[in-house]
Amino acid sequence: MLLRRTDLPLDRDASGRFLPWLVAVMVYLAALALICAIGANKVVTRWDQGLAGRMTVQVPTSEEEGDDRADEVLAALQAIPGVRSAETLGTEEIARLLEPWLGTGAAYQDLPMPTLIAVRIDRAAPPDMTQMRRRLTQIAPGTVLDDHQSWLGKLLDLARSVQLVAALVVGLVGASAVTMVIFATRMGLSVHGRVIELLHLVGAQDSYVASQFQAHALRLALRGGVLGLLMAVLTVLLVANLLGQSDAVALPDLSLLPIEWSLLPLLPLVVALIAMVTARLTVLRTLGRMP
Amino acid sequence: MRFEDVSLRYGAGPEILRHVDFHLEPGSFHFMAGPSGAGKSSLLKLMYLAQRPSDGGIQMFGRDVAGLSRGDAALMRRRIGVVFQDFRLLDHLSALENVALPLRIGGQRADKVRKHVAELLAWVGLADHLHALPQTLSGGQQQRVAIARAVVARPNLLLADEPTGNVDDRIAVRLLYLFEELNKLGTTVVIATHNETLVSRFSHPVLRLTAGEIKLSRSPAMSPAMTGSRPTKGSAA
Ligand SMILES: Nc1ncnc2c1ncn2[C@@H]1O[C@H](COP(=O)(O)OP(=O)(O)OP(=O)(O)O)[C@@H](O)[C@H]1O
Ligand SMILES: [Mg+2]
Repeated sequence: MLLRRTDLPLDRDASGRFLPWLVAVMVYLAALALICAIGANKVVTRWDQGLAGRMTVQVPTSEEEGDDRADEVLAALQAIPGVRSAETLGTEEIARLLEPWLGTGAAYQDLPMPTLIAVRIDRAAPPDMTQMRRRLTQIAPGTVLDDHQSWLGKLLDLARSVQLVAALVVGLVGASAVTMVIFATRMGLSVHGRVIELLHLVGAQDSYVASQFQAHALRLALRGGVLGLLMAVLTVLLVANLLGQSDAVALPDLSLLPIEWSLLPLLPLVVALIAMVTARLTVLRTLGRMP
Repeated sequence: MRFEDVSLRYGAGPEILRHVDFHLEPGSFHFMAGPSGAGKSSLLKLMYLAQRPSDGGIQMFGRDVAGLSRGDAALMRRRIGVVFQDFRLLDHLSALENVALPLRIGGQRADKVRKHVAELLAWVGLADHLHALPQTLSGGQQQRVAIARAVVARPNLLLADEPTGNVDDRIAVRLLYLFEELNKLGTTVVIATHNETLVSRFSHPVLRLTAGEIKLSRSPAMSPAMTGSRPTKGSAA
């Protein structure tokens, strides 16, 4: 028969039993937070790339002059150096853009719709925006130039707040992991006080006791962490699946790249390492304070 | 081992040991006798560093124990085997594992240790109980496991607190032979007991403890410093 590896019956007491579950919940939250942060980043990049070099010009329609003014604006735009192309969006295209908000078959024709001109700009030599704006409003007062910067700015702010919250969640998770492990370890130390005392009496050093606690904490935290990660991955897959069915294009893309997937297992590993180091330091500090 | 004017009180309680002053030669063999409550266990606790004296100085293996760090105290305890009055076996470990504990803590490999431990347990008559948990053993059997654990690492100093309290006289004598064997190999032995008949069967000197004060009888090897008797063999432990 082999001799047991540990002398402390840590597996049997309640002090560590809740630990895997709490770690599971925390890793779950942290993993979701991280996935959201990555997702938010992606949304911003996607919009940024998609909108780069694009601009929309809105020319209000007026009863008297009809489409003529829009045609004049279009011609003027095409003449400006730095504008690579400019074209009026047709009614169908506008209908397609508005469909998610208004539904199919709405009577757009009855609405006072501005004429929309999609403009692509040479990003290497962009036109002077203020000059361009002045020129166009001369032709048709009320014309609006939208280079999407304010929309992108807001999106970026949103993404940043999502990431900030995610970082906060991860930080809180780390802090509570440490607190929980300290608590569980102190509890274990007092539950096994007699055994530890005996180990000391037969010559064990504090580090001998600490190594048993740290191995135990590592095992428990790893078990909980893996569980939490699995739950998080399942949740993401489920949500991504639901989003895919509703094909809401404006919603963030939660699917991760292989490299991002491979980063996730680091989360339970890091938490387990934190748990291990915390347990060791707690034991050494608590025992070191004894006479 | 040298005790210089050592006193001990627990908390604010009365003095349990009063001005205890003696020194033991390395390789000596002593009984410690005295009525229940005289302070035998307390004196042993001081010897195995589980208790610090409230007054006076203790030297073990030539070092002052007051200045020992926790780490050094642990290393020193590895040189001391203790049979506790209440055994203190770990009840989740088998007899074999309990006895192997000091060796494991000393850093020895489990597979090397096993045979030695099994032999020792056979010697104390527990060959059939290697894998038994302490609570399934009788009091006398537990005591023998505790003794095996105390001697397994060949300590320089063996302290036994009432090691034969739970066994019949035949086994008690046999266990004392074990201690004598160890003593012949160089281990200093101190055995606390109130079994006077057992004490009288051996010719070893006796430390008599009464009401916290110590007196030596039949002493060749111990020298109470106050009475000024000389050490008999070797240098001071
Ligand atoms: N941890 C402790 N706290 C307070 N008092 C204690 C403690 N341990 C022992 N004592 C007291 O010290 C005195 C001596 O106890 P000790 O155990 O040393 O006696 P003993 O000689 O070993 O007795 P016995 O032969 O019954 O084992 C007793 O009066 C006891 O009440
Ligand atoms: Mg006693």
